[in-house]
Amino acid sequence: MDVTPLEVAVVGFLLGGVFFTFVTAVGVIRLPDVYARAHTASQTDTLGAGLTLIAVALVLGLETTTVKTVLLVAFIFVTNPTAAHAIARAAHEEDIEPWREDR
Amino acid sequence: MVVPVGESVTLRQTVTYAVREALSGAGEPVVHFVAPVAWHDIGDVAAGVREETETLLDRVAVWAREDGDDDLVVETTVIGADTYLFGPDDYARVIANYADDGIERVVVDPQYSPGGNVPILRPMEAALTERGLAVEEAPVDRPTRRGRLLRRGGALQFATLFGISFLFYQLLGGFAGTGFDVATGAVSATLVAAMLHRITFTDRLHLPTLGRQLVRLVAYVPYLLYEIVVSNLRVAYVILHPSLPIEPRMVETECAVWGGMPLTLLANSITLTPGTLTVRVHGRRMMVHTLTPAAREGLFDGALERAVRFVFYGRPALAVATPRERDDARIVEGDDGADDADSGETVVTGPAGGDA
Repeated sequence: MDVTPLEVAVVGFLLGGVFFTFVTAVGVIRLPDVYARAHTASQTDTLGAGLTLIAVALVLGLETTTVKTVLLVAFIFVTNPTAAHAIARAAHEEDIEPWREDR
Repeated sequence: MVVPVGESVTLRQTVTYAVREALSGAGEPVVHFVAPVAWHDIGDVAAGVREETETLLDRVAVWAREDGDDDLVVETTVIGADTYLFGPDDYARVIANYADDGIERVVVDPQYSPGGNVPILRPMEAALTERGLAVEEAPVDRPTRRGRLLRRGGALQFATLFGISFLFYQLLGGFAGTGFDVATGAVSATLVAAMLHRITFTDRLHLPTLGRQLVRLVAYVPYLLYEIVVSNLRVAYVILHPSLPIEPRMVETECAVWGGMPLTLLANSITLTPGTLTVRVHGRRMMVHTLTPAAREGLFDGALERAVRFVFYGRPALAVATPRERDDARIVEGDDGADDADSGETVVTGPAGGDA
């Protein structure tokens, strides 16, 4: 079976994306409060989706669709922190005290 | 009386009115023209704007002498240079501070817009009144426009926004270059530019500066990606560690960046890197939730802040003390939450590590 370097790279990026998405799932379950969970939620969007979309772009090659894939990453990078901030800010306005390990 | 001035179409008439009022009033005729600073003392944006402001004040002084007689005393001053002017209250504060020694009256140019596109004239007037000053708007011919969000739209803003929208449209169409794409792109871009060119750019638009900032932004992206990867790995380690070694703390830091776009970029970059999460932004004070001591140290070392300064203000702005050295970063020790609940204030103690 022939495996091209491109395929290796694509599988590598996909595995990376899956790994960080998995870490996020674990994080959302394990972390103690809303603020801490918002941290890990941004991981899926940045590296999880980012690495996966890089793999997609590699498969597509040089095409218009590739440009759109890159734009997709760019928009995720703008919207993700905005959403995370909105959640954290809402929590703060509701006077939710951050969890601490010493209390 | 004191008259806050800035570039506006009715400035000339306002000067005339202020001078006439000063001469007709009792006592010594003195008019103070003050220009709140619209620049920040860093990088390549500052010098030009500072010069413009000083030229403006000179021009105002000449006009006032034209309108007045020999008794008239004209003072021109730039105010607020030592503080960051952000909201209407900040402007009101510096004007009121200036007026502190015996001035009771403020004449405002109804077209004056200290906040650029941000409508803060009315709230500023209210804040001045609250501070015990008599505020009045100069009666000028040109009626005050009501749509306060719509300001300073110009051909340059329109053309820039049109260009960006058109290029984006062609990009999505893969630069096919067909007549259909060009025509529909032009129509869409015209619609977008017509509707939004007055509210898209809040600062005065200076294309060379904008271009330099874009280039530096491109240089910033790989650095941000590097930071994201590193902190992602750190947080992944913490999450997968059996004992979950986290020490979450709320942290407050006073950022050394100014204005909407730089603050947005910095706050978003902080949130994008796992381990730090921007919770609130008041002016340039940010409240950041940090997950681990390492993430906290990174924030206190201000690497991202320095990078954002580089993007907007250029290379000279790289030379800045870290938030820790400036004493601008501290851990917020929430007390039991009872009394800080309503005021929104938080109890702040000691430097990093000083547990209550």
